[in-house]
Amino acid sequence: MKKLLKTNEFLVLLIIAALSLVVGLINPNFFTVASLFDLVRSSNVYIILAFALLPVVILGGVDISFIAIAAVASYSTHMFLIARGYEGGLFVYFVMGCTIGALAGLLNGLIITTFKLKVFDVSLATQTMWYGFTLFFIGATSNFDMPEGVVGYYSSFIATVTDEVTGVTGLHVSTIYVVVIGVFLWWFLKYTMIGRGIYAIGGNPEVAERTGFNIKKITLIVFVMMGLLSGFAGIVQSGLSRNFNPTLFIGQNLSVLASVIIGGAAIKGGRGTVIGTVLGVVLTQIIRRALVLTEIPAEWQNFVIGLILIIFTAIPAIREKRLEKVGRTTDLIEATVEE
Amino acid sequence: MEEELLRVEGITKRFGGVTALDDVSFSINKGESLTLVGQNGSGKSTMIKIISGVYTPDEGDIYIDGKHYGKMSPLQSIQAGIQVIYQDFSLFPNLTVAENIALNDLIISGAKTVNWNEVKDFAREGLRKINVDIPLAALVQDLSTADRQLIAISKAILADAKLIIMDEPTTALTQNEVKALFKVIHDLNQQGIATIFVSHKLTEVREIGERTIILRNGQKILDQDATELDIKTIEYQMTGRHIDRSSIQYSEPKEDEVIFEVKDFNLSHGFFDVSFKLYKNEVLGITGLLGSGRTELALSLFGQKPADSGTIILEGKEIKINSIFDATSNGIGFVPEDRLKEGLFLPQTINNNIAAKIIDSLKNKLGFLDQKKKMDLAGEWIERLDVKTPHGELPASSLSGGNQQRLVLAKWLAFNPKVLILNGPTVGVDVGSKAAIHDLIRNLAKEGMGIILMSDDIPELMHTCNRILLMHRGRIVEEFDRESTNEDDLNTKLIADDRDENQKRQVE
Repeated sequence: MKKLLKTNEFLVLLIIAALSLVVGLINPNFFTVASLFDLVRSSNVYIILAFALLPVVILGGVDISFIAIAAVASYSTHMFLIARGYEGGLFVYFVMGCTIGALAGLLNGLIITTFKLKVFDVSLATQTMWYGFTLFFIGATSNFDMPEGVVGYYSSFIATVTDEVTGVTGLHVSTIYVVVIGVFLWWFLKYTMIGRGIYAIGGNPEVAERTGFNIKKITLIVFVMMGLLSGFAGIVQSGLSRNFNPTLFIGQNLSVLASVIIGGAAIKGGRGTVIGTVLGVVLTQIIRRALVLTEIPAEWQNFVIGLILIIFTAIPAIREKRLEKVGRTTDLIEATVEE
Repeated sequence: MEEELLRVEGITKRFGGVTALDDVSFSINKGESLTLVGQNGSGKSTMIKIISGVYTPDEGDIYIDGKHYGKMSPLQSIQAGIQVIYQDFSLFPNLTVAENIALNDLIISGAKTVNWNEVKDFAREGLRKINVDIPLAALVQDLSTADRQLIAISKAILADAKLIIMDEPTTALTQNEVKALFKVIHDLNQQGIATIFVSHKLTEVREIGERTIILRNGQKILDQDATELDIKTIEYQMTGRHIDRSSIQYSEPKEDEVIFEVKDFNLSHGFFDVSFKLYKNEVLGITGLLGSGRTELALSLFGQKPADSGTIILEGKEIKINSIFDATSNGIGFVPEDRLKEGLFLPQTINNNIAAKIIDSLKNKLGFLDQKKKMDLAGEWIERLDVKTPHGELPASSLSGGNQQRLVLAKWLAFNPKVLILNGPTVGVDVGSKAAIHDLIRNLAKEGMGIILMSDDIPELMHTCNRILLMHRGRIVEEFDRESTNEDDLNTKLIADDRDENQKRQVE
């Protein structure tokens, strides 16, 4: 039990609870079901993006190109289908967008594994490239033409509530995606050998290779997954906002990264969980929401998120210091593990 | 009746212009115990990496169980039953003990998914086989070095290996643990598992190996029955020259002149009531097993882990050491145990490494770094310490282990400290370089530098020190004079303490 209390996830949960309480006291609207549904709806896309990024971070890399992949995948899918007079639903969008995303992710992976380059360096290049490609070859303005089957997507709810102030709101259907992807990713990371390989490579790539993990294969899978989920997130977001934008998500990669880190993933790799990532995104979304609800200027949002980021990056360092001070003995470990 | 397990033929491996291995052939039978000996840079590590599939040889063939491998991947090597315990133990710091032990098996069995209950049972069984108890859910990054080694060993045993290769496995072990390890190795041989044991400690070579292979400069120099070998022969074949120990010139301490004194030094979880004096021209040895507080004492004296209480007197003046900066500004130098992590800037040039500690004194009038002055000074030390390199502008990472250790020494000597603390200065250094470093240490003491040598290498202490302090459980328990003790005596004392403790543990 004590072990659970010491986890990073629990700490994030605690901060979420405390923050919710404060915000709720200042503005009781925060505690309504409508407000909760709204929070979920705005978090969903970012959770999917964070899911895209999480395996890359565990692998030991920092990718910043996933947002550009989301943009090129969703925007080019849309422009292609609109030009052909497509009037159906989002399913075809998902198939095509995820394929484009997966291919773009594969490209990142291939460049990284072939030339043995750093993830960050490659993604810096591909991010710029994909936004440039989209703007130059596909289109430079947001497109608001929606196929018949997509128009109503923003309000496809699983359940609805009627609120006196905001009218009808509901639990958006994208919540199902988050749950399905989340459960899959959790299973994939914890119970498959490829998933364990991702942690192993993040912990010590040389040893991982010696142990017999196929580093190239695992890296490629991680980046294909990243591209696929990014493309998916791009389409969900565009569907929700009823326009397809060539510069979708631009500038938001680092805040997604921040959520993943707050959720307990280590920037140097080897550590990170699905549940932590969900909590990390929810916390950053609540902070943004809280500052609006309590009428604190928007400029403070980033400051507060940055502050929390500092705390969460400092925790492992403090723990390490403590171990150094007390010394690494089995007795001590036993004490902390068995509790 | 003897069945061949592994044979390598005509292995050659080049890195750029350097030939690391030159036409090396040998074989090993099932259940045989082979020791592989050679100086740093002799090609031992390269050979291990080729057998384990990490490197592909430029020429030559590998046969395992009669099957020919031209090009072998690490996975193929593992599947053929070859297990290597590297010096870094090949563990994942971020994963649990259980997973670290079980991962190999999961990969060999070609599992696609992980059953965590099986992982735990498997790991528990593995630890039971070598009779140790480490919490399965602990992360490896939180464990001590000795525990990590135990995990690495149990991992290899569990992997159903036909051949286990151990790269200097005893470096971080206490004497008793070494004995236990040797017993394990003998047991493995009995069961038909072959072992290749790589070591610098020549006494171990004779104790553990049935057959010894010596490599020098990438070539096989000797391959014969270990019982026919004596230490002098091994030394000669490794280095190509005879090392004479009889003519050691010890420096004579001046007992009326104390240059460094520590009184009632304490660090919680480290050491207690430590007091000692260091006389002029003296080399003072401090020894003790793993966990005796020896390393903590060194780190405290250098300000890396400031002591909780106590007094330090340097040349008659009381000084405070609360940080590394305090230590260096008072003229205390420190050669760390882990030269790669703490001692050198590996990607930087050899010259820059030597100048790193004294960069302020190399400024010209404008306050810029005087390149010529730096090169001259570095060149002087490269020559004096006989660092083998074609050029001082090459990166420190281009040097072999022994030369890197000399470079760490050069860095500190250029700084000209009043007191130099050396912690395990020859760990992982071959016999030839070792003797040279010992000569240097004695000469420095003669020239007036105060030297504190921390080591658990008894011959090393006997060859360099005037007095030796023995630490146990954080306290200095005994003082030995070189002239009135001998290696066996000291060895017995060191182990005796360990044994006491084991008995105590069992009682508890």
